[in-house]
Amino acid sequence: MATRLNDKITAALIALGICLLVYISLMSPLLVVMIIVALLVVLLTYCEKTGIMDKVLHLLGSNTILTSVIFGLFIFLLPIIVQGNNDLLHIMIIAGILGIVALGLNFQIGGIGQINFAPAVFYGVGAYTTAFLSVKLGLSPWLGTVAGACMAIVAGVIIGLPALKARGYYLSLITIALQTIFTLMIINIPAIGGPNGIPGIPPYQIFGYSLHSSIRVLGMRLPYQVNYLYLVYILLALAIVAASRLFKSRYGIAWNAVDQDPVVAATQGVNLTKIQLLAFCLGAAFAGVAGSLYAHYTGFISNENFDFSQSLILICMVILGGSDNVPGVLTGALLLTMIDQKLMDYSNLRLLMYGIVLIVMLLVRAKGLLPKRVRIYDDRDRSTGAGEAKLAAEAGGKR
Amino acid sequence: MDNLKILKTEKVGINFGGLKAVDSLDFEIGDETVGLIGPNGSGKTTFLNIISGIYKPSTGRVIFSGEELSSFAPDEIRKKGISRTFQTNRLCMNLSVIDNLLLGLYCEQKTNWLQAIFNRSLCMKEIDEGIDKCFQAISGFNPEIVDRAYELISTIPLIDRRRIEIARAIVGRPKLLLLDEPTAGLNKEETHQMIEDITKIRDSGNRISIIIIEHDMSVIAKISDRVACLNAGKKIAEGTFEEVSQSENVRMAYLGG
Repeated sequence: MATRLNDKITAALIALGICLLVYISLMSPLLVVMIIVALLVVLLTYCEKTGIMDKVLHLLGSNTILTSVIFGLFIFLLPIIVQGNNDLLHIMIIAGILGIVALGLNFQIGGIGQINFAPAVFYGVGAYTTAFLSVKLGLSPWLGTVAGACMAIVAGVIIGLPALKARGYYLSLITIALQTIFTLMIINIPAIGGPNGIPGIPPYQIFGYSLHSSIRVLGMRLPYQVNYLYLVYILLALAIVAASRLFKSRYGIAWNAVDQDPVVAATQGVNLTKIQLLAFCLGAAFAGVAGSLYAHYTGFISNENFDFSQSLILICMVILGGSDNVPGVLTGALLLTMIDQKLMDYSNLRLLMYGIVLIVMLLVRAKGLLPKRVRIYDDRDRSTGAGEAKLAAEAGGKR
Repeated sequence: MDNLKILKTEKVGINFGGLKAVDSLDFEIGDETVGLIGPNGSGKTTFLNIISGIYKPSTGRVIFSGEELSSFAPDEIRKKGISRTFQTNRLCMNLSVIDNLLLGLYCEQKTNWLQAIFNRSLCMKEIDEGIDKCFQAISGFNPEIVDRAYELISTIPLIDRRRIEIARAIVGRPKLLLLDEPTAGLNKEETHQMIEDITKIRDSGNRISIIIIEHDMSVIAKISDRVACLNAGKKIAEGTFEEVSQSENVRMAYLGG
């Protein structure tokens, strides 16, 4: 009993530590963020070498409710913690939105091992669909979001069915071509604003309450970003739940098998077309929802938001954070968004510095900050004879 | 036993360019273990690849439980109850032992992706039962593997990898098991253990037919009820091990005399 309580306290402390780290890097200038990242890399490498990492992950994994409550509270209180600073809230919102896209992209990169160079296309399809419907046809933004996700899935099927006949480099080339076509297409269609984009996209409304109105709490005026922060992070939480459940289901295993050896996967009864299309469509759906959120949050979209560099940033989030690992992808999304936004101050050096950061991080940790880990079926261990015997032996040893 | 033939091939053949790798082969198997022997390049593995749907036959038909298989993809054929192992060990190196075994249950598990997301208890229950089945299958061969269930395949010794691959093939309770050189690369002691393992599957009480390709004649002699010998894609002898080993054709094929 005492050890379980201890475990809970330790897990809570680790979760609080992660929140604190996020808060500090959010508040600090770029240089401090870089130092924090460097220290983080050293700490992660040390923890992995000494095996502390496994224990920490086990602790967090077996206390999911407690840790998610802490993370939830952190997001809930964040507007007050940062005293309504809308720049910082903006960074967190963008990180959340891109986190949803990256989680979807991870089904393809981490799951079936196919690098899709066009995540921004599906992100853009979602954004443009809802923007067009709500600005030109006056449709409710909520319905627009659903339509955006559906259109992204349709695009996923239309592109996925023929494209998935190819694998590896060839599939990547097809997606690069797709990205280029998409960018050129939105510039050249006047109905969706062409190079001028679509301005004046209406905000979400809940029972007549616009999410673009600021709120007053405890005598503090909080900017409208607070509404979007909550909305985005609720959806991100749903995306996390979906992604981690799929990872641990038979689909996650089948995806990895297709990545390793398609012939073996097929002889085990895996339908290659269906399973790859599922990874593509789920990724597209996540991206479509995220794109709609972005459109209604910023109120303005143009081709620059969905070009090749945006796709590359999303791919970097997955690979650099740790592909096929939900916490890894989220870490990548958060860190890269923060670095990207803080680099805005160095406008002309931004891309150069961003590139340097990426190269250094990949040199130091080639498999990502939090690499993929073996699936542990936790609930199991306790019920098998072997697990019980092990636990009993451990308990005996401690006594 | 004749009317209980689970698999039958009628004049099955396949051409690779000008090469007839398998040449109008008639073959059948009932509730028994059949050894498939023959010199290198005689078309044994190609024959298994045709049965499991990896290659489509150029001529002839494959009939499994009264149903023609030639038009089906490998995953559909697996669902019908034919499962196989490979000559070179083909486990998924990026997965743990237990995940590799669970892959063998993929077509038996019923949860779709929506249930996997929204109905966690159903999904977990199915995986729980799956893990039980996998542990049962693998502990029949070597109980120690159960303790290493969460390790990556790359840390497991070769003989245990073979066992895991065979366990992956039988955990979904197939009706027909195709074993492609299960003892390749194993030493004498390990080969002996492998023979015992395969005997266990054969005598397990589940009705399972086995086709086994082997170069080690001691394995064939111990395991198979019947032996067929291929050479240059054609069947040159069939019968009990003694009959086949006495056959003049077989001696010619192996010794070239």
